Amino acid sequence: MVHATSTHNRGKRSGDGGDPARLAREPKNWRPFLLLIPAFVIVSFFFLAPLVDVFIRSISDPVLGIQNYVWLFTTPTNMVVALRTFGTSFLVTIVCLLIAYPYAYLMTIVSDRTRNMLQLFIMLPLWTSILVRTLAWLVLLQDTGPINGLLQSLFGIGPLPLIRSTFGVALGMSQVLLPFMVLPIYSALAKIDKRLLPAAANLGARPVTAFFTVYLPLSRPGIFAGSVTVFILGLGFYIIPALLGSSKEIMMSALMYQQISGFLMWGQGTALGIFMLTATIVVLVLVGRLAKGTSLFAGRVK
Amino acid sequence: MRNPKFKRQLGALALGGVVTLLIAGCAGGGAAAPVVERDLGTPVAGVVPEGVFDGVTLTYAASGGIFQDGQRDAAWDPFAKISGATFLQDAFDAGKLKAMVDSGNVTWDVTNATQFDTARGCGTLYEEYDYSQVDISKVPEGTITDKCMVPNILYGLVVAYNTDAFGDNPPTSAADFFDTEKFPGKRTVSQSPYVDPQTVEFALAADGKDINDVKVSDIETAFDKYRALGDDVIGWTSGAQAQQQLESGEAVMGLVWSGRGYGAAAAGAPIAPMWDEWMIMVDSTAIPKGVKDPQAAFAAVNFYLGADQQSRMTELTSYGPVNVDATPKVDALLNTWLTTEHLKSGHAPNIDFWVENYDALSAAWAGWVTGS
Repeated sequence: MVHATSTHNRGKRSGDGGDPARLAREPKNWRPFLLLIPAFVIVSFFFLAPLVDVFIRSISDPVLGIQNYVWLFTTPTNMVVALRTFGTSFLVTIVCLLIAYPYAYLMTIVSDRTRNMLQLFIMLPLWTSILVRTLAWLVLLQDTGPINGLLQSLFGIGPLPLIRSTFGVALGMSQVLLPFMVLPIYSALAKIDKRLLPAAANLGARPVTAFFTVYLPLSRPGIFAGSVTVFILGLGFYIIPALLGSSKEIMMSALMYQQISGFLMWGQGTALGIFMLTATIVVLVLVGRLAKGTSLFAGRVK
Repeated sequence: MRNPKFKRQLGALALGGVVTLLIAGCAGGGAAAPVVERDLGTPVAGVVPEGVFDGVTLTYAASGGIFQDGQRDAAWDPFAKISGATFLQDAFDAGKLKAMVDSGNVTWDVTNATQFDTARGCGTLYEEYDYSQVDISKVPEGTITDKCMVPNILYGLVVAYNTDAFGDNPPTSAADFFDTEKFPGKRTVSQSPYVDPQTVEFALAADGKDINDVKVSDIETAFDKYRALGDDVIGWTSGAQAQQQLESGEAVMGLVWSGRGYGAAAAGAPIAPMWDEWMIMVDSTAIPKGVKDPQAAFAAVNFYLGADQQSRMTELTSYGPVNVDATPKVDALLNTWLTTEHLKSGHAPNIDFWVENYDALSAAWAGWVTGS
């Protein structure tokens, strides 16, 4: 917008690079909107059109009809994996929240220098490839890895099922997704006026009460934003369940990949995609309702 | 936005943009340059006339790793050097191939697929071979299993076991793989997204079943046999993972691709193959349906099948050559992993049955790899 206006002005002032008469004829106020057209075209072509294509395939491949959705809901595997996917993602969201909240709080009370360090620690893993980090976990957590080796030699227990288990998958995913929880919560906490807590204490609230009645409700936007981001990103994980989990931890993305690239059943693969999209939107709408009306922790606010 | 005229213009502009892009998109897929047929004479495996494919670009799509690098160094790059063509490498993905064929814009010329892939997709996803353009006289007997392929490599699904775990008393049959009393420890089995009929056949062979007389109901029986191993069975989703599990000792035994077992042994792990009972695997060299320059693709495959090229390929990848005259110089370790030495004790797959019952197999496979 700024760019268009300045070009316009420059054109007027210097008199070159445009036809002043033509510019004058047109009303000025809407022209900046033309700049939105590329974005509009890109969004419709690269996001909307494929989505429409995916939906059409799900009801027309190999023949027109709802057979792919019938298959989807009558095959027990699909429902098991769908529930597992939402369950794992929910678990990871909770784990991230429990770790990120104190961490983000710490970031609000330390000096600028320390805060930068804390921020670096949380961002650093984000700059490394997921694959590399997951392979590192694999080496650490496997039955013959250092952790189980230490447990065995020191305490004579194990090997504990650290990988090929929900624990391994949740650990790997939480590490990757933690920054997406810390950053929104930090930005929410940073905005809270610190004097509110002494004020609450002054009015007779004990620290716990002050936290749950004053601080936590004020940080709700950050909790909500972080949780939604982590939950949605978590639904699409592929490589971490494949490497740190067993077949019993495989998630929806693997099932889709299998239908699309393994079996070449694009109708069924796209039906799975549409199902996940719809289910995710439904979950978000429900959570959104919940978050707007009352607190996320409705039971504890009193 | 208050101006209605603006709204109309904006709409028209957006529509114009959409139409332009659509036209551009369609035009890209349709036109193909007319291909001149060159006179190459009678094909001889491993030979291509000098400079005949000047300016032609070919792409080989396969599954990567030392396997594809070795094939590139042994055959595709030398072919490019002599014929004047440019040879590119890409990663194969069946879904991507289907998208190319469906849209009529095929950018691959030669691919590596399984025998089951080419048998199922012959004529729809893969081009039928014109065997007058490819010299198949030196191809091992029985390895051409449908009209859309020549063999790519001879390898196997073999039991690779840890010699430290079972030094003097190694497993000697498919049944031993399932005997956790005599051979304690974890086993790794394919749970990759790619359906593998021979993993099923292996379990049936362990029960003493004749692979050439399999019924649909046997498929679940086979998976139940793996499931009955309980915590002692772990899965691999990629060849690299299988190798890692063997090398690290996570698994004391694995039903893995022979090249991956060799990979673990070559890296110094105490891993040896069990040849008493194994599954013979043949990969297809296939040409995508609607390939831009069939003659060049056939000529490249013809070159790939040469004895020298196959010897070199085996030396670089450990996978068995598909030319009976090939004499690869292999060291002692590589020799213990060469499938071509043990063809007598191997089970060949019942391809017809699996092509016919692919849907039943893929449904059961989907359950197996997702733990349900």
